[in-house]
Amino acid sequence: MPKMQVRTRNRSVPLEAAMEAIASPRRRQILRLVWAAERSAGEIATTVSDVSWPAVSQNLRVLRHAGLITERRQGTHRYYKADRRALGPLEVILRQMWTRDLDRLRELAEDEARSRRARHD
Amino acid sequence: MIEDLAGAIEITQRIEAPPDIVFAYLVDSRRFVQWMGVGAELDARPGGRYRIDIDGQHIVSGEYQVVEPPRRLVMTWGWEGHPTVPPGSTTVEITLTPERGATVLRLRHLGLPDEGERRQHSEGWTLYMSQLAGAQTLPSPRRGGREEP
Repeated sequence: MPKMQVRTRNRSVPLEAAMEAIASPRRRQILRLVWAAERSAGEIATTVSDVSWPAVSQNLRVLRHAGLITERRQGTHRYYKADRRALGPLEVILRQMWTRDLDRLRELAEDEARSRRARHD
Repeated sequence: MIEDLAGAIEITQRIEAPPDIVFAYLVDSRRFVQWMGVGAELDARPGGRYRIDIDGQHIVSGEYQVVEPPRRLVMTWGWEGHPTVPPGSTTVEITLTPERGATVLRLRHLGLPDEGERRQHSEGWTLYMSQLAGAQTLPSPRRGGREEP
């Protein structure tokens, strides 16, 4: 496995977690919901009404662990918003793009190196 | 000690191939399109320009600043028509370091817009994110709908 290191300006971010989090259309939908404004868990559940609350809750947990959203508790209520200061989607997009593409470059270059070695043997 | 990488991304990747092969994949159009985009015009010499058709919809273009085969490549980088990252606005630096028959590739994407600037374009970013990440299922933004606070 290639070793990947990623840093953003504020802290190290687990690459796998961020990429996995944003790979899901459902989680991107939730991320977009909480992008411009904080939303309560109820609002999110109402908007994303075609799946069960446990599924939404699980997606919120994944996004939170990836550092993409923050959670605020007030009494029995929970509120979520995108953590753009810690990890803006720009970094996520670019990191995802470069990581995916460089991984492909690695495979291609390694194939070509193998062919070259085979020719020289 | 964490290096100051304000507005930057750094990715390091070890490749089991010598630097000259890896470098060819960075500057040769035919090899390049095998790992990035669907089309590429690359004029890899200092001052030369490049243009990459990412997905038939988004174009990345820029100018080569440093071309030192097979060790180092520096170029400006931006999406054509993008509000905060147009061509010329950011810089990508790729260095290749040989290591016992393999290559350590380090990519740094520098000069990304700061948070304040990005905040003004948050909707643009969100849309762009959804497009680039292939979120065809993402609903289009509503105005005054139930998504508004």
